[in-house]
Amino acid sequence: MVYASCLVQENQISEEQESVLRKEMEEFVQSSFGESVEINWIVVPKNSGFTAGVPSTSVIVSVRSNVILDKERRVSLLKELCDIWMTVTGLSTNEVVGTITDPPN
Amino acid sequence: MPLYICNARKGLISDQTKALIAKDITRIHCQVTDAPPTFVHAFFFEEASNVPLGDKQALLYGQIRAGRTDKQKQEIVDRMQEAIHVHTGIARDDISAYTTDTPASWVMEGGDLLPEPGEEESWLVAHEAKLKQEV
Repeated sequence: MVYASCLVQENQISEEQESVLRKEMEEFVQSSFGESVEINWIVVPKNSGFTAGVPSTSVIVSVRSNVILDKERRVSLLKELCDIWMTVTGLSTNEVVGTITDPPN
Repeated sequence: MPLYICNARKGLISDQTKALIAKDITRIHCQVTDAPPTFVHAFFFEEASNVPLGDKQALLYGQIRAGRTDKQKQEIVDRMQEAIHVHTGIARDDISAYTTDTPASWVMEGGDLLPEPGEEESWLVAHEAKLKQEV
């Protein structure tokens, strides 16, 4: 099982978009890591998210890899992950933060 | 990145106070590290289970880029703890704060890997030029 967390702002992502994102995250993780994904979907309450000190429109998506990745592979996967989110949500490149971590020691 | 998560007991931090603390978190992080403000995210929760409060009233968890010195990290923790104390009235002993390191090369923001600490200025110039080209 590969673990992922998605931090989104309240009322930012519709139920339909969330459903598509969950499906696409599952496909992304299956094709990239050969395992299912367990997603921790976290909604930042209204008036509780800030970027640069002002109300935030950022999403932060983190995936914990099941293998140690080299830089080239990680960049490719990060681009794919961020593209999924930008395509489904319509958010800009500056609003999508992607993280892919190595497995814990 | 950095991502600061502030978790507190229900009703202890008003929306107006969150905005003040977020400004301080941003200012302090940028002063200590020279990072640009646009990198700094501060998200607030009440009694969130993934960052347990334990016996504290408030907790600040910062996920920051690796490469900061222990002195910088301690200054971040001390000053942000103080900011929460000043804005909320919560006793300092009832506020815990800590950071963890994440390699910059593990994070993509604005379509690019984050810069290593100290390389922010050239990263921003290149990033803004790239975005202009894409428009």
